[in-house]
Amino acid sequence: MADTDYVIETRALCKRYGSKLALDTLDLAIAPGRIHAIVGANGAGKSTLFRVLLGFLPPSSGSARILGRDSQRLTPADRGRIGFVNEEHTLPGWMRVSAVTAMQRRQYPRWNQRAFDEVIGHYHVLPEQKVGQLSRGERAGFNLALTLAQGPELLVLDEPTLGLDVVAKRAFLESLMYSSAAEACTVIYCSHQMEEIERVAENLIILERGRLAHMSAPEAFCARVSHWIADMPFAGPPPASVPGLLQVQRIDGLHHYLVLDQDEDFGAFLRDAGARSVQSMPVSLDRAVNGFLAKNHAMPVAA
Amino acid sequence: MPRTQALMIQIATGDARPISKQIVDGVRMKIATAELAPGDQLPSVRGLAQQLTINPNTVAKAYAELTAEGWLESRQGLGLFVAAPRQRLSDSERDRRMDEAISAFVHEVAALDYPPQRALARLDRALQVLSRKTA
Repeated sequence: MADTDYVIETRALCKRYGSKLALDTLDLAIAPGRIHAIVGANGAGKSTLFRVLLGFLPPSSGSARILGRDSQRLTPADRGRIGFVNEEHTLPGWMRVSAVTAMQRRQYPRWNQRAFDEVIGHYHVLPEQKVGQLSRGERAGFNLALTLAQGPELLVLDEPTLGLDVVAKRAFLESLMYSSAAEACTVIYCSHQMEEIERVAENLIILERGRLAHMSAPEAFCARVSHWIADMPFAGPPPASVPGLLQVQRIDGLHHYLVLDQDEDFGAFLRDAGARSVQSMPVSLDRAVNGFLAKNHAMPVAA
Repeated sequence: MPRTQALMIQIATGDARPISKQIVDGVRMKIATAELAPGDQLPSVRGLAQQLTINPNTVAKAYAELTAEGWLESRQGLGLFVAAPRQRLSDSERDRRMDEAISAFVHEVAALDYPPQRALARLDRALQVLSRKTA
């Protein structure tokens, strides 16, 4: 019962730590299917959101639902439908790989040995090894294998590739994108690495100071941001008057503007402000997200 | 069954073009330079995704665009293939080129001082080769 069409749905969700709002009346609805990336500056509320969604933290106000269930009333069966992988890949270091695997197998009724083998095959992990002896990359792979083998409908990953070397990172991404167990679930993935997001994500969610700042396909977000270079004889217009301004820089006497949601009229604006020449170009996802997160208060309220 | 043609393309993250657009551009260039010929089979969606370490849906999107534009065609249950080049000229452009060809022919015939009746008879015979081909 209480089924919704969303894997994650928050309404006016607030989480307050003392006087600081980590989540500020957040409304977020994530549809089921494939890979969603959540990005935001440090302190944007990503980890708090995950903790509330998984029922580790109570909200201060508002509601949070995951797979149609109230986050605060998740049963063990509900939890079995959700896989969670955190950046530390926290597993008991004193246990052997085989013992951890046996424990998880008993705990999850939908245990899928084939999915486990498919993922662990990417790593040189032996059953008799102690978890504490595994490298960070091996621990990440082992953790993902365990999580996918529980047969989750929703996989939540909090910066899973942080600190992995290039080989381990690639193996991790391959398991995430091509293993049959991962293909069957919705993946919510939080990362600061745009290179990875560009390869992996179909939906980009940007959190800013505990609020939803943007959600769309990554390329649609890219298309909102453009880079203009103007040859201004003088100081240029006051930043507060520049529409959609994300960033302005003066390099070798030219003014570089990174702006949001501006069309050809922005060129006219620059010419009216005294520009002798004006050029514009599209930007990469990395640049677009960077500019968006780095902007000051000159930000129009996004839908 | 035809074998998959290797698709030697590169994608770059950090580019202003989305990855799916980079694939579209890459495949079009391979076809334009004849590195891919009509009838060549493309890698599967999953195969190309693995080759490039990207999301399979990104490849699917690029392939859909290339198919819609007529560069690729799908054969039921077999996969995607490079399509035969289609008539890409407009009717007026086609007429213009035909006029050009006729005018060039007439000028050559005039220079040869060849009797028009015999020129016409020989042209007729030459064109029968074309009509036999298409029949």
